[in-house]
Amino acid sequence: MDPKPVILVQDLVVEYKTVKGFLHAVDGVSFTVQPGECVGFIGPNGAGKSSTIKTLMGFIFAKSGIVEVFGEPAGTVASKRRIGYLPEVTLYYPFLKGRELLELYGGLHGLSRAQLAEQVPKVLAMVGLDGMGDRQIKNYSKGMQQRLGIAQALIAEPECLIFDELSSGLDPVGRYDLRKVLLDLKAHGVTIFFSSHELYEVEALCDRVVAIHQGRVLFDLPLAELQERATGVGLENYFMAEVRRRS
Amino acid sequence: MKQRLRNIWLLAWTLMLEAWRRREIYIIVAVTVALIAGLRMVHFFDLEGLGKFYREICLKTMNLTTGLTVIFLAARQLPREFTNRTIYPLLAKPVSRMEFLLGKYCGVLAASVFCYALFLGVFLAGSLSLHAPVQMGLFLQSIYLQIVAFAVLAALVFMLSMLMTPEGAVTLALILFVASQVLMNLMDTLYDFMSEPGRVALLVLHFVIPQLTLFDLSSKVINSVDVQKGVTRVVWEPLAAGTMGTLTLYGAVYIVLFLGGAYLLFRRKPL
Repeated sequence: MDPKPVILVQDLVVEYKTVKGFLHAVDGVSFTVQPGECVGFIGPNGAGKSSTIKTLMGFIFAKSGIVEVFGEPAGTVASKRRIGYLPEVTLYYPFLKGRELLELYGGLHGLSRAQLAEQVPKVLAMVGLDGMGDRQIKNYSKGMQQRLGIAQALIAEPECLIFDELSSGLDPVGRYDLRKVLLDLKAHGVTIFFSSHELYEVEALCDRVVAIHQGRVLFDLPLAELQERATGVGLENYFMAEVRRRS
Repeated sequence: MKQRLRNIWLLAWTLMLEAWRRREIYIIVAVTVALIAGLRMVHFFDLEGLGKFYREICLKTMNLTTGLTVIFLAARQLPREFTNRTIYPLLAKPVSRMEFLLGKYCGVLAASVFCYALFLGVFLAGSLSLHAPVQMGLFLQSIYLQIVAFAVLAALVFMLSMLMTPEGAVTLALILFVASQVLMNLMDTLYDFMSEPGRVALLVLHFVIPQLTLFDLSSKVINSVDVQKGVTRVVWEPLAAGTMGTLTLYGAVYIVLFLGGAYLLFRRKPL
C-alpha cells in the first residue's frame, strides 16, 4: 500500500482580493485522505469547501500551506494523472455528442482509441446514459448533463475521485444510482473525496467526515465516532450545534 | 511529448468541430458562393478586361474576411471557457495550461485556414473561368505569408482576451488590424513631417503593432502575369528565399511575444 496519503492539505490558506481588502476563504485548513478512504467534506455555504477543492485541482493558488495529491504538488500534470474530478457546476460543450465529449476527456487522459472504444460505452452505462452517447449535449437535460459529468470523471478509471458537490443537479433516481456507483468503486479500493450539503449522503458513503466553517476545520472524525457523538440528536443537529458554537 | 502533442491536437480538433457545427463556417461558404457568382457575372457580361479588378476585390475580401474570422474566433475562446466553466473538467485532466492555450490557438488557426482554403478554391476557380492566370510560385508564397499574418493576429487577440473582456479584445484587435494595414502605408510620409518626439512615437508604434501589410502579396499576385494579344508575360517573380525567411522570422517573433504574453497572464490566473 502507498505509504503517502492520496491527498495532503497542510495549513492551507487561500485568500481572495476584494474591494475591502483580502478575504480569507480558507484559513489554515489541514487534513489528509488515505488510499481507499471515502471522505466527505461538509460545511455551510462560503465555508471554503470549493476553494479547498479548487486548490487541490490547481484552479486557484494557495497563499500558503502545502497541498499535495499522490505526493505531487496540486495542479501539476503528474498530480492530475490519477484523479477523476467533477466540478460543482459546469456546462459541457453543447455542440459535441456525449460520446465525443468522453472521447475528448479520455484522450486527454492518455487513453488509446482501443481503450476509448471500450471505456466510453462502459461509463455511459454506469451513469445510466446507455444508448444516448450519439445525442448532442445541447439536447441533454440538466440531470443527464450531470450524469455525463460523472462519466467524464470516471472515464480513465482514476484511483482517486474528487467531486465538488456530489449530487448537485441530480434527481432522487440519479442520486440513488450515483451512490450505487460510488459504493461499488469504493469497494474496489478507489479513494473518494467529495463535498456535499447532504448529510444523509455523507452518512451513506463515508468512512470519515471533515467539516469546515469560516475557512477552518470544525471537526475531522471517523464516521462511527461522529455518529456516536451525534447519538440522540442526529447528525444534522450535531453539525448545526458545532457551527453555531464556532460562529 | 507525444501525449502533449495529442492534447493540443484534441483541443484544436474540438474547436474546429465547434466552428463547423455552430455553422459559422457555413456563412463563409455562402460568402464564397456569392464571390463565385460575382466572378461569373464578369464573364457573363463579357467584360474580361475587368477580370483583374475583380481578382483584386476577391483577394482583398479573402484576407479581410479571414482576418475578421480570426479576430472573432480567437477573442471568445478563453473568456467563454471561463464563463461557461468548461475549463474546469479540461484542466482537471493531465493537461498543462500551456497545452490548453496552444490547443485553442492551433484550433483557431486551423479553423481560419480552413475558411481561407475555401476562399482560395473560389478564387482559383474564378481565375480559371476568367482565363486570368496567376504566377503560381508567387501565389503560393502569398498564401503562406497570409497564414503567418493570421497566426500573428490570432496570438495578438489571445493576449488581448486575457487582458480585457471579449468585446474589448475584439474592438482593440479590429483597431490594431486596421491600423496595421493603414499605418505602414502612411508611415514614410508621416515621418518626414513629424517632430523628434513624434518620430520616436512613430518608431515605437512601428515595432509594437505588427505590420501585417508586409505579409500581403495580393497586389503582386493580381499583377503577376500580363496577357496581351495571347502572349503571357510574367511581371512579378516569386520572392527570394531570404525575404521569405525574414518575413517568417518577423512573424514568429510577434507570435512568440503575444502567445508568451497570453501564457504569462493565464499561467497563474485563478479560475
